[in-house]
Amino acid sequence: MSLYPPIEPYEHGMLDVGDGNQIYWEVCGNPDGKPAVMLHGGPGSGCSAKHRRQWDPSAYRIVLFDQRNCGRSRPHAGDPLVSLKANTTWHLVRDMELLREHLGIDTWQVFGGSWGSALALAYAQTHPDRVTELILRGIFTLRPAELRWFYQEGASFLFPDLWESYLAPIPEEERGDLIAAFARRLESKDDRVRVAAARAWAQWEAATITLYPDPEHVAEYGEEGKAVSFARIENHYFVNGGFFEPGQLIRDVDRIRHIPAVIVQGRYDACTPMATAWDLHRAWPEAEFHIVDDAGHAFTEPGTLARLVAATDAFAVPKG
Amino acid sequence: MEIYPPIEPHASGMLDVGDGNEIYWEVCGNPDGKPAVFLHGGPGGGLMPVHRQLFDPDAYRIVLFDQRNCGRSTPHVRAEGVSLEHNTTWHLVQDMELLREHLGIDTWQVFGGSWGSTLALAYAQTHPHRVTELILRGIFTMRESELRWEPARDLLPDHWERFTEGVKGDVIADYRRRFADPDPSVRLAAARAWARWEMVICNLIPDLSPMDDEFALSFALIESHYVVNRGFLEEGQLIRDVGRIRHIPAVIVQGRYDLATPIATAWDLHRAWPEADFRIVEGAGHSGGEPAVAAELVAATDRFR
Repeated sequence: MSLYPPIEPYEHGMLDVGDGNQIYWEVCGNPDGKPAVMLHGGPGSGCSAKHRRQWDPSAYRIVLFDQRNCGRSRPHAGDPLVSLKANTTWHLVRDMELLREHLGIDTWQVFGGSWGSALALAYAQTHPDRVTELILRGIFTLRPAELRWFYQEGASFLFPDLWESYLAPIPEEERGDLIAAFARRLESKDDRVRVAAARAWAQWEAATITLYPDPEHVAEYGEEGKAVSFARIENHYFVNGGFFEPGQLIRDVDRIRHIPAVIVQGRYDACTPMATAWDLHRAWPEAEFHIVDDAGHAFTEPGTLARLVAATDAFAVPKG
Repeated sequence: MEIYPPIEPHASGMLDVGDGNEIYWEVCGNPDGKPAVFLHGGPGGGLMPVHRQLFDPDAYRIVLFDQRNCGRSTPHVRAEGVSLEHNTTWHLVQDMELLREHLGIDTWQVFGGSWGSTLALAYAQTHPHRVTELILRGIFTMRESELRWEPARDLLPDHWERFTEGVKGDVIADYRRRFADPDPSVRLAAARAWARWEMVICNLIPDLSPMDDEFALSFALIESHYVVNRGFLEEGQLIRDVGRIRHIPAVIVQGRYDLATPIATAWDLHRAWPEADFRIVEGAGHSGGEPAVAAELVAATDRFR
């Protein structure tokens, strides 16, 4: 089982969500189908055309949107003058509600990988009555230990070669808190400093999310606009612990334990290691839990994609 | 490149190495070939027939031996009352010298993976003039940071939970207590759990079928003996002393997703020894049996033949 064929949206638009922000949204598939919303990762990655293809377009009304300040949403964080003050988890949760109402959707399936899984959990725990099912991949809850693993010590044991490139923009004396050291550079007025830090940050992630190296993906995250917006938004969220209380998303699982859910986790996910998915599984034994033995973090890993598409297929309402 | 076909030894025997120990040795391939010695892992892992197949039998005189107290060497650690007092890295280095002299070999290629890479480095740094080349896989130098199972616990939380079930305090100390339990069934259960965890961290996709109890016991008892004694090495010694062997041609083969001996150690060795040919195998775990890893190893022995 792999992706459905390429598809174009049947409608799209920009939604004014306040604070001067407009978010780009699009809908694909069957206008009378079962509603599902796709939450992209990062935060700051934006949606791609591939994301549309994880649902049967004859069965689903597939909603995708670019979260604040990234992708096709405006203003864009690639512009260093754009402030991220009005960009928090709770703004995004509210944006989802505005978009849902705008599209006249009552309840929807919520699908998210990586940061998308964190946003999905935050949304579902805030508005459980709006969620028909949850499909979560590469579980990330932004606990301090999870951020430490990827940006300070952990993944460094598996990618010591790439880690040297990640560290390169940060002087020795500032390496005690790398997320904070990057924060200072990503907000620098000096273009060279900002872009060098953004590339190191963005390409560290792009290079470590697949089981086998994917040079095309790494090159995409070296592109200046992409690197700067991605790195600025991610770093802004991570400096702020995702705007969560530590452990909040697993602590509050009881609010959503009644919702049918599928959790898909790559065994060799070096970005959001399986320890978090395992903690979620232990807190939420009712959720279907799948470990993909030969996969890293990316949703495009073949075994992971097969599980995700199987999950959306299983939840599809057969057309009567 | 695949491993060579199965082969039987043309000579084998037991060598008295002192302290009441006899080690099993065997020689395969061409009696007039280039000498190479294979160092198995663990410590306590013992030889497997597949180890003979990493060298071209027409080109090499392939020497293999079971390290003290495991495999076919005697006394086996499993026997009642066997002490590991005379089983240290430096005893094994001395045993290699005795075996080399016994076989009338002047210099040899030294090949070792995992603990075998530790022993290979220790041997080569002690007797550099006896080593023609070094082929090392899954680099392990027994530094403190290598003995905490990071990052395996984060990637294998389910297996880690099982391995540490019922453990009180320090994991290794708790297992050592169980290995010394007067009740043989407690000892065996602990050895099986230890060996199972090893299988999990040694293979990208582990085969969890039950293993031979004798293997589990020797592996668990000898390996943990070396671990609690930090390999009888000073912290960082093997990377610190690389200067002694930098002139020896060497190949380092390391799986990217090796959770038994994470690539961080191989990377430190590579940085300390840039002359050695360093090869990362993407998408591979620890075991020399992973096809892409085996291919690099055979390519290395072929280049040096």
